[in-house]
Amino acid sequence: MERQKTLELSPFMPFEDIEKGLTPDRLEEYQAFIRQVLYAKDSIYEQKRDTLAAAAVNTLPYPPVSPEARELIDTGSICLISEGAAPYHPRYVAPDYARLLRNGSSFLELPPAGDLFDATTSLLTAYKYVPCAGLPVFIGRLDELLEPYIDSVPADVARSILKHFWMLVDRFNPSAFVHANLGPRETITGRLLLDVDRELRTITNLTLRYDPEITSDDFALQAVRNALELTKPYFLNHRMMLADWGDDYAIASCYNSMRIGGGIYTLVRINLQEVARLSDGSEVDLLERVLPHVVAKASEVTASRVSFLVDDIQWFENNYWIDEGFLQREKFTAYTAIFGLAEAVNETLAHSGRPNLRYGHAPEANALADRIANRVGDLIRENPVPHCGGTSGHACYHAQVGISTDVGITPSSRVPSGEEPELYAHLLAEAPTHRQLLGGTSTILEFDQTAAANPRAVLDIIRGAHAQGTRNLSIGSANSEFVRVTGYLVRRSDLDAKVQEKASRYSSAALASGFMQTKPNHLHRRTRTV
Amino acid sequence: MADTSKQSAQSLTRNVTSRSMKEMLVTHRGWINHILKQSFVDGPGNRAVVFLQGCNLHCLYCHNPYTLTLCNHCGLCVETCPSGALTLVDGQVIWDASLCTECDTCIHTCPNNSSPRVVSMSAAEVWGEIMPCSSFISGVTLSGGEPMLQVDFMIEFFTLVKKFSPLTTLIETNGFAGPEAYRPLLKTLDMTIIDLKDPDSQRYQALTGGGLLPTLETIRFLHGMGKLYTVQQVVAPGYTDSEASAAATASLLVDIDPQIRLKFLRFRPHGTSGQAETWASPSDEVMDQMVNAALQAGLKQVERSL
Repeated sequence: MERQKTLELSPFMPFEDIEKGLTPDRLEEYQAFIRQVLYAKDSIYEQKRDTLAAAAVNTLPYPPVSPEARELIDTGSICLISEGAAPYHPRYVAPDYARLLRNGSSFLELPPAGDLFDATTSLLTAYKYVPCAGLPVFIGRLDELLEPYIDSVPADVARSILKHFWMLVDRFNPSAFVHANLGPRETITGRLLLDVDRELRTITNLTLRYDPEITSDDFALQAVRNALELTKPYFLNHRMMLADWGDDYAIASCYNSMRIGGGIYTLVRINLQEVARLSDGSEVDLLERVLPHVVAKASEVTASRVSFLVDDIQWFENNYWIDEGFLQREKFTAYTAIFGLAEAVNETLAHSGRPNLRYGHAPEANALADRIANRVGDLIRENPVPHCGGTSGHACYHAQVGISTDVGITPSSRVPSGEEPELYAHLLAEAPTHRQLLGGTSTILEFDQTAAANPRAVLDIIRGAHAQGTRNLSIGSANSEFVRVTGYLVRRSDLDAKVQEKASRYSSAALASGFMQTKPNHLHRRTRTV
Repeated sequence: MADTSKQSAQSLTRNVTSRSMKEMLVTHRGWINHILKQSFVDGPGNRAVVFLQGCNLHCLYCHNPYTLTLCNHCGLCVETCPSGALTLVDGQVIWDASLCTECDTCIHTCPNNSSPRVVSMSAAEVWGEIMPCSSFISGVTLSGGEPMLQVDFMIEFFTLVKKFSPLTTLIETNGFAGPEAYRPLLKTLDMTIIDLKDPDSQRYQALTGGGLLPTLETIRFLHGMGKLYTVQQVVAPGYTDSEASAAATASLLVDIDPQIRLKFLRFRPHGTSGQAETWASPSDEVMDQMVNAALQAGLKQVERSL
């Protein structure tokens, strides 16, 4: 057979059958796929192992769904994104690491942490076992967690420990989906971690929970200076999150919110572009007939997958993460996510004879984006999903950043890259769509090099954006060595290596290179000249 | 050269007074070249900048010469405008913003260092433009042109800003007007950026057409009142690009207070007209030498532009 050097990235593996699982007539396709994984030149052992494990699971049938839901899956309105046929672990979890440091763990044989050595060792150990997709997508509010131990060693030793800790986080867990949280309060640990991150320049994701009333300007400006070089941390609207979640929220993976001690079972996403095409082209039909149907069916698919994990697999039983209290059943929920809002808006307006009204530019288009995005949010709350105590018994509304096979469709609720309007107009267009997106979203801004000389100006814009309802902001600069592809970071150099079919330590780089081949405009965001 | 400039500055002042006296005395309208809602280089933080029309100096390297004078309605730009945005009605050049593509052909055509796109706006109208973006900015900067030619408008505008927002107010000025002219502004003005141009009074005259002394007095006065944000100086080839010049500027400021902030701006030919179009931008080395020379002369806070 022909040896393909690069793994195809698709939501489904070529041999899959949603209803029957692997059938004898597709055995050859299955074997061909396995061979393709084994022969791949651009993947290292761990990446191959994970793909092979996923392939094994995908020989099973998917949890059952109704014919109506199946039709929406087949036509692309509802997407299952590479989670596999049979969910046997949650998609994301956010362990209560404070409890781990306080109590230790009998299963992991870790004592309560007494000093900074203990604390960082316990965290690194726990990360290895985090029970989701082989990756600790949330590694804790590191400043809050470690500040109590920061004086347990001399200051220079503390920095050295944090530096080596931060390096091992990346080397043990080489992925841009590994996410640490900082803030809102300035701490010695928080300042040191930003400093160490600037030195090590790893790909590990970071969010600053920013509140101008709590976060000191010094700390915020240090974060801005880092962001202009490293495209991280994110600037999260802490006050908005506090109002929506209470204080026990975590940011994991790209920018995904969940409760600390909880997690997200599964993510089912709605392709709003495809959904808009199911309507008769009118806004009323889209909002009042099509969306209620699609959201109900997406909730049904979500419920079916959640039920498989919780009721069939019985994931919460005989699970030391539950038994020792690091995760709690009632804090879990699932995501129902959107993407392609821009296309839904533009196509709906074009259909009604107003093709010149574009999302990001025309007030009518922005208002329609607001109505569609928030209609989905309302509908999600009207559709109960079992075992979703983390968000009051329904799924959590999330804006999905997209996967590599999405061609010509814009991630989450954003204005398409390259089409962004003037800065304030851009922020004001997207902010209303963030209102109900508790599960996470972000607006991405890239500045030119002038910004580095005036980080205060960038902070002004962050504050203004938050005041206007932006939930989360990615700040970067056009000449950074990192680029935020859709929600996660990738090193430009890794991207190049990947395109040239060399292996990278980072599985997220593989995902990104697929993106770049199909959607190179992520490298052509509008740079803000200031 | 200097004499001509001086004359043109005087005639401009006359021009502003005669042309707009009625309006400005009664309603304190301002002649506005344009409003920039986002700038990272006109004071602390992100700022909205209002560029006022008209300047009393005539710097050889002026980077926006189209802000120097008011339109005399000669009509030449009407003929060259490619989009039909300019018309001559009853001897007045009328600008239709809805047709304008901002191609700048008019300001390149203008023999008078002006622009047909200058508009007369009330303080309330200018605030109305800026207010919607007020959550994204630290403050408002009035620049130009020379904003001190329109003091009454500035007072009225800053009073509105202070009444309706927590924004800071800043003017970028050449300091020519002398201390007393700034006194009525002190209640509503937070900061000034003063362009010192050249530390040598003769070269100052040759470069700008004006005098250095009032500027130094203004710096001393505003610094004393706690209203001086920074002093700046363009590093202009042949005029202010020597270490001696940097040291001289620094000495003048050290004499007032060694803590005064000084920023050297790199000359760029873009936007200039006349002989400065052929000048080269100073190199990084020259810019660094300027900073070092000023530091060595005893000034404590010296920086330079990129």
